[in-house]
Amino acid sequence: MSNIVVLVKASLNPEVVRQNPDGTFDIDYTPLKISDVDRNALEEAVRLKQVFGGKVYSVTVLTWGPLKAREKDLRLVVQEALAKVADEAFVVADESIIPGDYSVTANVIASVIKKMGLNPILVLAGEASIDESTYQIPGRVAAKLGLPYVGYVRRIREVRDGRVVVERDLEDYIEVLEVPLPAVLSVTQELNEPRPPTLIQIRMASRKPVHMLTLKDLGLDVKRQRSIVEMRVVTVSRKQVLIEEADVEKAALKLVEYLEKEGVLRL
Amino acid sequence: MSDVIVVSQKPSDAGELIGLARTMGNPVIVAFQDSAERVEELLGYGHRVYRVKSSRPEVLAKAVNILYEEFKPKLILGPNTRNVKDAMSVVAGLHDIHMAPDVVEVRGEVDGVIYKRGFMSERVTITVKVPYPTIILANPRIAEPAPKGGVGELKELSFDSMGVKVVEVKPKELSGINLEAAEVVVGVGRGFKAKDDLRMAFELAKLLGGQVGGTRPIAADLKWLPEDAWIGISGKRIAPKLYIAIGVSGAPQHMSGVAGSKIIVAVNKDKAAPIIKQSDYGVVADLYKFIPTLIEVLKRKRGASHST
Repeated sequence: MSNIVVLVKASLNPEVVRQNPDGTFDIDYTPLKISDVDRNALEEAVRLKQVFGGKVYSVTVLTWGPLKAREKDLRLVVQEALAKVADEAFVVADESIIPGDYSVTANVIASVIKKMGLNPILVLAGEASIDESTYQIPGRVAAKLGLPYVGYVRRIREVRDGRVVVERDLEDYIEVLEVPLPAVLSVTQELNEPRPPTLIQIRMASRKPVHMLTLKDLGLDVKRQRSIVEMRVVTVSRKQVLIEEADVEKAALKLVEYLEKEGVLRL
Repeated sequence: MSDVIVVSQKPSDAGELIGLARTMGNPVIVAFQDSAERVEELLGYGHRVYRVKSSRPEVLAKAVNILYEEFKPKLILGPNTRNVKDAMSVVAGLHDIHMAPDVVEVRGEVDGVIYKRGFMSERVTITVKVPYPTIILANPRIAEPAPKGGVGELKELSFDSMGVKVVEVKPKELSGINLEAAEVVVGVGRGFKAKDDLRMAFELAKLLGGQVGGTRPIAADLKWLPEDAWIGISGKRIAPKLYIAIGVSGAPQHMSGVAGSKIIVAVNKDKAAPIIKQSDYGVVADLYKFIPTLIEVLKRKRGASHST
């Protein structure tokens, strides 16, 4: 069996940053959404499922609470993975691992993969999540599973003889690599053009199994390392002067006048 | 005994990281990629240097892992690059230790470190405390560069890489422009309908003595600009006096890359585009009409000022 596991995160939505009156970040009221680059991983799984012929499992670990208030957002994220490609979804939602901790999250994911017998030939994940952008969960999961890891994959060229040929986008150059399978890959947005699931796919998704798990189900005991001292919303104090003129010449003159006053125009 | 491992990818990243390491402990250095090629520059800091003649994350991960087991350090410090993030994520996973990339401030305490980094596409800053041992990947300008002095001892390390084989190495298409240092930057987004139309942006930039950069779709997906012209959280972070965003919608991933700009001008035909609210001057206009007109106005102005 050659199964694919796709890691899918319910991320805080950076486009909807809620703020408390004292300027701190109101995490509880900031909504969750699927982390954008996970969509590229799901899209690639559609193609690779044909190649490998096994099942596709999505794994999601809830890292932001409050648990009760996150049910709807979480459901939408899992539903998208199921509608798009996954045959079954595994979701870990447990108060004891909220707020998330990178080491804990990776251990939980690795534990789901091992204990649920997902037996993947390939684990696919987005390069980073849109909320924390730490680029580390895929590498940690690979270390936990003892598998090779290749990050920043911008193209999967082919699968041959138990190896996958990929292009990796490093800091100063791009490498073409042959990676022995099974392996963990993190992917970038350049990989493909994700298509949203169709209505029929969304309807079919409701019939697919979703396995809700807690740490007790996994027999896992974890220790968090990070304590969050403070989260502060960055205040953007831009002037927000609107220049709206029917006559573009007038608009251009106005802008030039403003920029001269600011002292940022050097001709 | 050494208790801080400093990873250096390029000699230019070493000074600050070593400076920071010295405030927190006693460093040894792992030099890979360019720093391995120019190892004498690193030896000049007087600390022991382990040279890894490779730029590959798999190899770096193995090297640091061996040293981690030998020294049991309280801290691993490195630059916030793709190669280092990739390698250190594996080391962090192997030992279940915390890793913080993209760190802008860090301070050592008796029982751990307190650090600050961007969160939510840098619309939020998060301050975190973690116990030792931990991995900190720092952004530039995090500390005063260490003064040089002494000659360090050189040791060589080499490893295989879990069966991952390099078939080919391709250079990225780079222009060599330095957006980070530019005083004026013209940014282009998907409001442009064709690559040819970017000529307007280049003309405007030339007139203002600036450079042209672009959003992720323009630079990384469409490849209308070289990759080093990509502005955003995963691309370049710029801090010009004037940033003019043309046909840019204002996604958080892009805006976090321009947050350091003194003045932001947005030109967008959609008054509801998020960038309008995040700019100092928002021009609501069709860029195809407005930019040529702006260029004309600026040229007239320049003509007038030069003749007086």
